[in-house]
Amino acid sequence: MSDNRILETLAGQGISRRAFLKYCATLASLMALPPSAGKAFAEALAKAPRPSVIWLPFQECTGCTESITRSHSPSIEGMIFDMISLDYQETLMAAAGHQAEAALHEAMERNMGKYILIVDGSVPLGLDGAYSCIAGRSNLEMLKEVAQGAAAIVAMGSCAAYGGLPKANPNPTGAVAVSDVIKDKPIVNIPGCPPIPAVITGVLAHYLTFGSLPELDHLGRPKSFYGETIHDRCYRRPFYDQGKFAKTFDDEGARKGWCLFELGCKGPVTYNACASVKWNGGTSWPVESGHGCLGCSEPDFWDAGSFYKALSMPANPLKLAAGAAVAGAVAGIAISVSNKARKGAAKTGHETTTLADLEKHHE
Amino acid sequence: MALPDIPVVAETGALTGNARAVLGEVETLLDGLLRTGEGGIVDIRGLPLSPGDRIWLLEQLGKGEVEIHLDIGGRSRILETAYPAVWWIEHCDEGGHLISEFIQVAYVPELISAHPDDVESGLEHLRNRNADLS
Ligand code: SF4
Ligand code: SF4
Repeated sequence: MSDNRILETLAGQGISRRAFLKYCATLASLMALPPSAGKAFAEALAKAPRPSVIWLPFQECTGCTESITRSHSPSIEGMIFDMISLDYQETLMAAAGHQAEAALHEAMERNMGKYILIVDGSVPLGLDGAYSCIAGRSNLEMLKEVAQGAAAIVAMGSCAAYGGLPKANPNPTGAVAVSDVIKDKPIVNIPGCPPIPAVITGVLAHYLTFGSLPELDHLGRPKSFYGETIHDRCYRRPFYDQGKFAKTFDDEGARKGWCLFELGCKGPVTYNACASVKWNGGTSWPVESGHGCLGCSEPDFWDAGSFYKALSMPANPLKLAAGAAVAGAVAGIAISVSNKARKGAAKTGHETTTLADLEKHHE
Repeated sequence: MALPDIPVVAETGALTGNARAVLGEVETLLDGLLRTGEGGIVDIRGLPLSPGDRIWLLEQLGKGEVEIHLDIGGRSRILETAYPAVWWIEHCDEGGHLISEFIQVAYVPELISAHPDDVESGLEHLRNRNADLS
C-alpha cells in the first residue's frame, strides 16, 4: 500500500479539512450511517493509507464503469479516486497491450496480498472461457490469477455479482458470478444494472476506515445499502398503504404520484438504495420519474417475467389500508421510527457517534 | 417530439405526511439542546420525503437572520431557520448539484469553527510573515 495518508494526499490537491468533513458527512448519509457518524468517519479516513486497487472488466457492457466514472464530475463518487491508488483499469488507463499487462503484474507484485480487486462483468465458462478473453487469456484464467493476491474482491454490478444479463436464459456463454469461481477470498457483491455509484464509494470508504468489508446480507451485499427494499424507503409508500394505485401510466393516479405497484413495480422484493441515494447526482430515481422498479439488484431479474406485470402478492398485505384509515401523519411517524431503527448506531440524535459505535454498527 | 411537448405533467408536489414527523424530531432535538447542551442532526436524504414534503418542511421552518456560504469543494450553504439553533445545511458538489442536506440543531454548526491543527499551521504562517516583515 502506498504510505501517504488520505488527508495529506487530498490536502496536496487543495482539498481543505472542511471540504473533507463535508465529503464525510455526505458519505455517511449515503451509507445510511447516523448523521453524527460523519465526524468519526472523517477522523478515521484522514489517517487511513491509500490502498492499491486493480479493476478487471470481464463479460459486460461497461455500464458499471460508466455509472461510476460518468457520475457528475468532480463528485462525491469521484473523490474516492483521489483516495485510492487505481493501479490497473483497462478501460480508463492510457497504457495498452504489453504495457498494460506489465502494469497489472507490477501492481500485483508490489501489493501482493493487500490490493483490492474490483470485477465488473460475468465470467463465461462455455468453450473453456473463449467467449471473453483479454490479451489471449480467458476471463476465468485471469480472475483466478489476480484473485490469488487480493485482500478482498468487490463484484461490481449484477453481472459480476450474479451473472446478470449474460446469464439470462438460455445463458449461451455459460456465464457465472465471481463467487461461483472464487471460493477462498472475501467477496462483496454490489449488484445493480448498473449499481449506484455511491455504493462502491461507500464500500471502499468502509474498507479504508475499518480495514474490513462492511456487514453483508445473505447474497453478499452490504447491508448499509441493501438492508431494506426499495418499497421500504419509497416516498410513494403512504399511497400503497392507503390503497391508492396508478392503473395506467397516464391516468389520474399516475399524475397524482400514486403507487406504481399495479404497473409492475418490483420495489417490494428489491433490495437497493435508489429510494434514498437516488440517481444522477441525487436528481431523481425511477419511481420518482413515474416508472416502477425493475428489480435490477436481485438475482436473475431478467428472467423474472414482464417488468409490467404486477407482483402476485403484496409484500406486506394491504391490511394497513383497511378502511383507508391511515392518515398521512400516522404513516409519517411510522416511517420516522423505521428510519431510526435503520440508523441503529445513532441510538438517538443526541449522542455523539464514535468510531467504536460505527464498528459496532458494522459488526 | 421533444420531452416538454409530451402533454403529461406528473404532480410531484403531493404531501405524504412524512415531513410532519421530521418537525417532531426537530422539536425533540431542540428540547435536548436546551436541557443537555447536545443537539443533533437529521439527514434529509435519509428520509422518504417527496419533493413536495421537502418544500413544505422548508416553509414550516422559515428563515432566520443568518446565512453562511462556504466554498469547500463546491458551494455549501448554512441557513438559520426561523427557530434559533435550528440550521438547514445544503452541500453541493463542484457542478452545483445538491449532494446532501441536513437539519442541524446546535448553537453554532460545527463545520464553521476552525480545527486546532489548522489554527496551528495558520499561526506558524503568520509568525513567519511577521518575522519576514520585521
Ligand atoms: S410498490 Fe413501488 S411505487 Fe409503490 S410504494 Fe412500493 S416501491 Fe413505491
Ligand atoms: S429502482 Fe429498481 S430497477 Fe431501478 S435502478 Fe433501482 S433497483 Fe434497479
